Amino acid sequence: MDKGLLAYLLIPLLSAVIIPFAARNRPRLADILANVTLLAGLVNLGWLVLRPSVVRGDFADIPGDGFALLLVGAIYLVALCVTFFSAWFMEEGQPNRAAYYSLILASVSAMTGVVTTTDFFTLYVFIEVLAVTSFALITTDDSRGGIEGALKYFFLTFPASALIIAGISILLIVLGDLQFETLRIFMASDVPPGPAVFAAALIMLGFLIKAGVVPFHAWTPDAYQGAYAPVSAHLAGIVTKISGVYAIVKLGTLLRFFDGRASALSEMVMFLGLLSIAVGALAALRQKDFKRMLAFSSISQVGYIVLAAGLGTPLAVIGAVFHLFNHATFKTVLFLNSASVEKSAGTTDMEKLGGLEHSMPWTSWTSVIALLSTAGVPPLSGFWSKLLIILALWEAGLRGYAGLALLFSIVTLAYFMIMQRKVFFGRKSQAAESAPEVSAPLLAPAVLMSAVIVALGLLFPYFYTYVKMVAERIIL
Amino acid sequence: MTYHNLLFTLAVLFALWAVMAKKLLTSAIMLALVSVTVSLIFFNLGAPWAGVFELSVCAGLITVLFIGAVSLIRSTEEKHPESRAPFYALPLAAAIFAIAGWFYLPAFFDELASWRRLADGSGTIGAALWDLRRPDLLGQVLMLAAGVFVIKSVFPRRTEK
Repeated sequence: MDKGLLAYLLIPLLSAVIIPFAARNRPRLADILANVTLLAGLVNLGWLVLRPSVVRGDFADIPGDGFALLLVGAIYLVALCVTFFSAWFMEEGQPNRAAYYSLILASVSAMTGVVTTTDFFTLYVFIEVLAVTSFALITTDDSRGGIEGALKYFFLTFPASALIIAGISILLIVLGDLQFETLRIFMASDVPPGPAVFAAALIMLGFLIKAGVVPFHAWTPDAYQGAYAPVSAHLAGIVTKISGVYAIVKLGTLLRFFDGRASALSEMVMFLGLLSIAVGALAALRQKDFKRMLAFSSISQVGYIVLAAGLGTPLAVIGAVFHLFNHATFKTVLFLNSASVEKSAGTTDMEKLGGLEHSMPWTSWTSVIALLSTAGVPPLSGFWSKLLIILALWEAGLRGYAGLALLFSIVTLAYFMIMQRKVFFGRKSQAAESAPEVSAPLLAPAVLMSAVIVALGLLFPYFYTYVKMVAERIIL
Repeated sequence: MTYHNLLFTLAVLFALWAVMAKKLLTSAIMLALVSVTVSLIFFNLGAPWAGVFELSVCAGLITVLFIGAVSLIRSTEEKHPESRAPFYALPLAAAIFAIAGWFYLPAFFDELASWRRLADGSGTIGAALWDLRRPDLLGQVLMLAAGVFVIKSVFPRRTEK
């Protein structure tokens, strides 16, 4: 375990334990404690990574492989947006207010554990903690949709856990150890990799289910649509990325996909990635509910990351890591905006919405930034990550994959344009008549994330240096 | 050898208690205790990894899941009358099993203990838990905390209804 990052796991855990006691008589103290904890962590991370001396030195002073640090940053950023939004979104007097924040902080601790561990079993333990906290968070408002979503999440992700633990057991028998490094060394040796690859394939399958990749995506739309509104942003923005996609990228590098040691598995992962891109995008075109459409879009975008992770070349890994981070930013904006629309207009049914741009200009334009970035329009951050992924595919001679990835990027733009027209542009609907813009604190997280999207796009050379350093460290 | 027998007896007793308990919560806790005793047997037979995993997964994760699920059940649902008659046959079955075990189990444990020298003796419970698998303990603490938060999140809503 990366000890340098242990504090990012322990401090939220400590806050999570303190909150129920501190906020017993003053519920608002729960909001303050959760937000201050995450903000302090984020400031600390900013100091570690963005100091001028570190940036000038091409991030060579960054401890560890840099991947964990980047993801801890994404976790804290998304969680801060979600807790800040929740503080103003949650109804006064909700009985489980303190427990809600404790659960968010516990999930932050668990995600930090996932990205900092260097051992398969510890990874499994933290993934399970994440599953338990997510299950409870989805049902925060006790709605029927939430419970249905949580149950589907439960029934599909726990068999995934069983697959992961079975894979880990076989790996222990084959390698005699569960350290990531042991698998990497084993794959670099001349020993026939069959049993280790079989074990890794089981683990990979478990994580593909947890990431909601097609054909294991059945739980994703229901869980995102039914979940308590800010929780959808937390789940789609970061939780499924960490509990599924991160491990797929990591396993791809450990199995040395780039030198063809596990070519069958690599091809299967790439195929499922492309299938996700296609099915997610085509299904998103036909959705009538704002949140459900975003969920299918999420499946499609995860497909890009999985496709790149399956290819595994250094350029593809750079693209995958960059897109993972980008996806966390733009999906958080879109889901938080869907929560704002739900709060203001009382529905997320796109047939009943329309013309919200006049009354909710901030929500509308932050959505435009996020959707253009998702679709890969320059110069926003999503453009660069998709470009890297498509270039990596082209460079590896997989021109068909590259062409299809590009084609579905255009489909992404199409379904988002349909969404924007139905929800924000066009003639004012009845629901939009009485839908005022949400308050400034509710807008702040979306505006902050939109600024991050623009900044990442414009300052791409700096970010590229960082991600390149990450790819070099995790592959070599 | 006595240690093994004692642990084995305890495991059986906890297992029986888990089946016969009237409250689901008691059942979940007893099942966790079964796992704890089984993991102690693993440790003593020179399989600390199996022991640690049994402790982590069965006594830790599964128990939290069970307790979380039990907390979702409303108090009225728990009070459905059930026929407990079949359970009273259990002590009788256990007694028959105990008599059979008296003959066979000591020899079985002796043989297992003789295999122990083949295990590479990768350490004591302490070494396995604290040196080899320390991060897992952190995960367990987190899991325990998460379990408590789940219950704290679910219960107030139930009582309100």
